[in-house]
Amino acid sequence: MVDFLVKYPRLGRLFDLFLPLLATLAALGVGAIMLQLLGANPFVAYSALLKGAFGSQNALADTIVRATPLLLVGLGICIAFRAGVINIGGEGQFIAGALPATLLGLSFPDAPAIVLVPAALMFGFLGGAVWGSIPGLLKAYFNVNEILSTIMLNMIAVQMMNFLLRGPMIDPVQLQAASAIPQTARLNTAFDLPRWIPTRLHAGALLAVVLAFVVYILLWRTTIGYRIRAVGFNPAASRYAGINVKRNIVLALLLSGAFAGLAGAVQVYGVSHRMITDGSAAGFTGSAGFNGIVAALFGKLHPLGTIPAAFIFGALIVGANSLQRAMQVPAALITALNGLVVVFVVSSDIFSRRLARRRQIGVAEPGSRGAGEQGSGGGGEAAAGGDHWPAG
Amino acid sequence: MNDSQLIAVLASIVLQASPLIIAVCGEIMTERSGVVNLSLDGTMLMSAMTGFVVGLRTDNYWLGFLAAAVVGMIFAGIVALGSIRLGQSQVAIGFVLALLGDDLSAFLGQNYTRMSGAVVPKAGIPLLKDLPVVGPLFFDQNIVVYFAIVLVFVTWWWLNRTQAGLQLRGAGERPTAAFARGVNVNRVRYLYTILGGALVGIAGAAYSLNVKIGWSDGHVRGFGWIALAIVIFGGWSPIRGAFGALLFGATKALATVLQRAFPEVSVVAFNALPWLLMILVLLAVGSDYTERFITAMPHSWQRPLRRVLRVSPPMALGTAFHEG
Repeated sequence: MVDFLVKYPRLGRLFDLFLPLLATLAALGVGAIMLQLLGANPFVAYSALLKGAFGSQNALADTIVRATPLLLVGLGICIAFRAGVINIGGEGQFIAGALPATLLGLSFPDAPAIVLVPAALMFGFLGGAVWGSIPGLLKAYFNVNEILSTIMLNMIAVQMMNFLLRGPMIDPVQLQAASAIPQTARLNTAFDLPRWIPTRLHAGALLAVVLAFVVYILLWRTTIGYRIRAVGFNPAASRYAGINVKRNIVLALLLSGAFAGLAGAVQVYGVSHRMITDGSAAGFTGSAGFNGIVAALFGKLHPLGTIPAAFIFGALIVGANSLQRAMQVPAALITALNGLVVVFVVSSDIFSRRLARRRQIGVAEPGSRGAGEQGSGGGGEAAAGGDHWPAG
Repeated sequence: MNDSQLIAVLASIVLQASPLIIAVCGEIMTERSGVVNLSLDGTMLMSAMTGFVVGLRTDNYWLGFLAAAVVGMIFAGIVALGSIRLGQSQVAIGFVLALLGDDLSAFLGQNYTRMSGAVVPKAGIPLLKDLPVVGPLFFDQNIVVYFAIVLVFVTWWWLNRTQAGLQLRGAGERPTAAFARGVNVNRVRYLYTILGGALVGIAGAAYSLNVKIGWSDGHVRGFGWIALAIVIFGGWSPIRGAFGALLFGATKALATVLQRAFPEVSVVAFNALPWLLMILVLLAVGSDYTERFITAMPHSWQRPLRRVLRVSPPMALGTAFHEG
C-alpha cells in the first residue's frame, strides 16, 4: 500500500490531505473498543455522537459555537509555532483577554453597543497580547524557556481570575446571597453578539473565519509574516539576513496571545455573557487554550487548515456530550477519546513525513533516514506539524 | 511559632518535596542523555492513579510503586520510540502525552476517587532520628523520603563518577564524539529515558501513596510542570535540583504561614507566589544580564558565582542523533 502511494505521488499527496481524518477514524476505532468494554454498543454510540454534532440546526450551531474559540486560539498557535516558539499559554491568555473585556462591559453598562462591543473585543485582543508578550520578552531577552513560562503564566492567570471573580468583580447579587458563587453580573443584553435566532450561533464564528484568512495573508503575503516564518525556519540565517530575531519572537508570541485573548472576549460576549470560575482554568475556558493547539496541529499549522480542524474538534466535543447523555457512559471517556484523537493525529504526521521522504529517495532503503529529511517541507506550506516544533 | 512547630513545618517541606526530588532526578538523567521528556505532568497523573489503584486493590504499596514505575516506563518509552526510532519531535510527543495522561487518568481512575487505600507507613531510623534538628527533618520520615535523599546522591555519583555516567553525558553533550568513542548513543538514550520515566512514575505514586494520599480527578496536576522547571533551575544537577525542590516546597509552606499572618491579603496572592517565583528563578539563571553582572564582579568571585547563578542545558538536548 505504501509502495503504491510512493509510486503515484499525486495520490500520495491526496492521501496526506486525508490523513488527519483517517487518524481521527482510527482513534474512534480504539474508542469503539473502549465503549464495547464498557458494555455500550459502539455503533449506537457513534450514531448518537454524529446526531449530537450534526443532527439538527441547533446541533450544527452548537458545533460551530464550540469550534469558534478553538479556531481563534489555533490561529494564534499557527503564528507562534511558525515562528518556532511553542505557546502553551493559551489558557492563561484566554483568561487575560476575557477579564478586561468583561470589565469594560460591566463598567459601562449604558454605553451604545455599537461602540462598546468592538472596544471590548479589542480589549480582549490587547489583554491576551499583554499576557502573550510576557513569555515572548522573557524568551527573547532572558532566555527563559517559553514552554515553562507560558505554563506558569497560565497558573497565575487562573489565580488572578479567581481573585477578581471572588472579590472586586463579583456579581453584587451573589455577594448578598449566601451562595456567593464566584461570577460576575450578566452583561447588558444589548452587548450580546448578534445571534442567529433560534440557535446559539453568534457572529464571533464569522469573525473567526474572516480572521483565519487575515492570518493567512499576514503569514504568507506580508513582510511581517515572512520574517516570522523565516525566524522559525532558521533563526541563524534570519539573523544574517538582517531580521531582528528577538523582536519577531516577541511579536509572534504577542500575536499568538492576542488571538487567544480575543477568543476569551468572544466567548464572554457571544456565549457566556459573564465570567464564572470553578477555581480551575478549564472551568471557564473549557480547555479551549489547549484544544486550540491540537486544532492548529490538526490543521497542519496552516490558518485555513485550522478552520476545518477546529470544526471537527468542535463536533467531537459537542457530539461526545450527547453521546454521554444518550449512552450513560462516563464523562471521562469523552476526554480520553479526545486525547486519543490527538495522539493519532500527531502520530499520523510521522507516517506522512516518512512517506514524503520515501517519495524523494525512491522506494529503495526503506529503513534509511537522513537523506531528504530537510527537503520534505518544500515552501513550508505543506510541511507536517512536527517540523515546526523546535528542539526543546 | 516555637521551635517544635518550626521543625514540624520544615519536616513537612522535606516530605512534600520528596516526590518532586525523585521526578527531578529521573528527568535529569533523561535530559542529560539528550532527550526531553515533556510528558511529566501526564505521566505523574497516570502513575499516581495507577499506584493508588494497585495499592488499594492489592493492599500492598510496594506493588503500587511497581505498577507506577511501569506506567512511567511506558510513557517514557513512547517518547523515546517516537523521537529516536520514528524521528518525531520530542516536544510534540511529550506534550501530547501530557494531555493524554491527564485525560486517561481521569477516565481510568474515576471509580477510585476519594477512597482510602494503602499508604506508606512512617518508619523512623533508630538512633539517627533522635539527632537534634536533622533527625526529625530527614530520619524520622518514611521509605519514600529516604529513597529520594539517597537517589539524589546516587544520581550525582552515577552521572559524575562512573563510566556509564560519562557515556550518558557524552550522548547528551556531544553525541557524535561519543559515537566515535564507541558509545551506542541511541541505546544510551533509550535506557536513560526509560529509567528516568520509571523514576517519574515512582514520583507520581509517591504523591498518591504518601504525600497527597488518595486519588481524585487531576490529583497531582501541575507538579510535572513544576518538576520540569526545577530541572532547569537545578542546572541539570541532581543536588541543585533537590535544593530547588526543597525551595519550592518552602515557598508553598511560606505562603501558608504568610497567609495566616496576613489574613486580609487575598489567598490567591499567596497561591500565585510559587509560580511567580519560578518564573523569576528561570529568568535569573538564563539571562544575559546575570552574565554581565558576574563579569562585573572581581575575578576570583566569577567562577563560584557562575556555578551558582548560571545554568546551561546539555548541548545536544532535544536533538536527534543519526549514526554515520
